[in-house]
Formats: sequence, C-alpha cells, structure tokens
Amino acid sequence: MEAFVQAVEGSAINQWVIGSAWTWPILEILHFMGLSFLLGALLIIDLRMAGFFRQINVAATHKLLPWVFIGFGINLVTGFLFLMGDPARYTANIGFWWKMVLVCVAGLNALWFWLKVNDDMKTWEPHADTPAIAKMIAWISLGSWFGVLLLGRLIPYIGTG
Amino acid sequence: MFEWLELTPVAIWVGESLWGYPIMLGLHAVGLAIVVGIFVMRDLRLMGFFQGISYESLNGLRNLGWTGFVINAVSGCFLFASQATTFITSTPFLLKISMIFIAAVFAALIQNKLRDDAVQWDSGGRAAGSVRTFAMISTAMWMGAIIAGRLVAYL
Repeated sequence: MEAFVQAVEGSAINQWVIGSAWTWPILEILHFMGLSFLLGALLIIDLRMAGFFRQINVAATHKLLPWVFIGFGINLVTGFLFLMGDPARYTANIGFWWKMVLVCVAGLNALWFWLKVNDDMKTWEPHADTPAIAKMIAWISLGSWFGVLLLGRLIPYIGTG
Repeated sequence: MFEWLELTPVAIWVGESLWGYPIMLGLHAVGLAIVVGIFVMRDLRLMGFFQGISYESLNGLRNLGWTGFVINAVSGCFLFASQATTFITSTPFLLKISMIFIAAVFAALIQNKLRDDAVQWDSGGRAAGSVRTFAMISTAMWMGAIIAGRLVAYL
C-alpha cells in the first residue's frame, strides 16, 4: 500500500485533483448528486421488489436502471479521483475499506439477481407480491448501498490513521 | 439568540461528544438520499422518463419522500444548533435553506396535482405542461440545495 501511495502522490492525476481549490468541492457535489440518483432509483426498484408499492408495475421499475448506472458511474469516477487526490488518507482508513467491501457485496448481489431472478421477473403479475428470493436480494441491495452511504459519509470520523 | 442556541446542552452534545456529530451527519446523508432521490425520480417520471410506470402509482411514493425530508429537518436542526452562529451568517447555508423551502412547496404542489389528475394523465400519456414545469423547478432546487450544502463547508 505504501508503494501505491508513493506512486500516486505527485502523479499528474494527483496534481490535477489537488491543484485547484475548486476541484475537490466540485467532485464532492457530483458525488452527492450521483448518490441521490443511485439510491433514489434503487429505493423504488428494491422496495417494489421487496413487495411494497404494489400499485407500481414491478417490471416497469427497471426503466429506472439507467439512473442507477448513471449515479454509479458518476460516483465511480469522482470516487476514484478522491483516491488519487489523497491516497494516504483513504488507504489508511478502515471505513474506506469496509465501504469498498460493501460495494463488492452490492455488485455480487446484483449479479445474483441477474442470474436467478431477472428472467422470471417478466412473468410476474405487475401488481402482485414478489417471491422470497427477490425480497432477500432487494433487502441485501438496500442494506449494502445504505451501508456504503453511511461509511462514505463517516470516513472522516472512522479509524483514520 | 444563536449564541444561546449553541450553548444549550443538546448543541454541546452534538458539537463535542464523540458520536453526536457523526450520528447526525450520517442521518443527514440517509435522509438526503431518500428525499432528493425519491422526489427527483418522481420529477423525472413527470418529465416523461420511465414510461410504463403509471402516474397514478407515483402517489404511493409521497410518504417515503417526506420521511427523508423529516429525517433531514430533524438532523439538520441538531447540526445547525452545534454551530448556529457560523451557519446563520453563511451565504451558501441561507441559499440552501431557501432552495429547500421552494423545493418543499413544489413537492406539495406536485403531489396535489398527482392526486387530482394522475388518472387523466395516464389516459392521455403525458403529464400537464404546468406539472412538467413544476418537476423541472423541483429537480433544479434539489440539485441547487446539494451544491449550496456542500459549499457551506468551503465558503
């Protein structure tokens, strides 16, 4: 990890992120917008998949997926730039690592959905209750993403070296 | 008055205890994701995205959106109390509060229109022009509140 920090510090991308007083706050603003798109769309998709809001057509909630990916994409790019801007701070922070673990959990959970539920979903009654496996995947998704949100916001307060 | 607020026991708990400030900040992030996320997704539907989700079914999201709003009003009051004299003179903070106020007014206008006219929009295929305008203003206010809110820490 020290080698990584040394490689990043002083690099062109590192200098770009910390070179102007405005870059960091602008990246933060984008990161907050990204999280509200990601979580807003996921709340509707996952709560419907957990059996709530049955007045919403369950298959149609997937129209929201582009906003999940837009939000995730914005936050992946801005998050990577934070890491490039201050590598020593993030790599020494246990909250950051737990956050990355939860992002991976959320990703594997999405893969599980894709493999086991996605095809069946089109055959579900639009306004009916959902199968148990779908409910479990929905709650894991919400749990991991809200965990990501909390860990991210609390990085400055958790176990900083 | 703001000096007095900062010296109340609850403000001191938020400002000086080990977990007071992080707990409130964490709740404020969760509430932000809910209120901005839900209301902006609803606005996008009204603007014409996500066809297949009926306008009428958006009525069900109202309470969830306001739940996020209340989480942030409460956690925001705690955070404000801990540094009241600083926040009350901060231009981005005052801008943020103004934009949230406007966004809340538009959220209420939109939900009343949805309650009364959603069925009609579903049969016609699109929301009334006035409501599409409300939705754009609402989303602009929420994005503005995020921008101003982040800048409170920098300006």
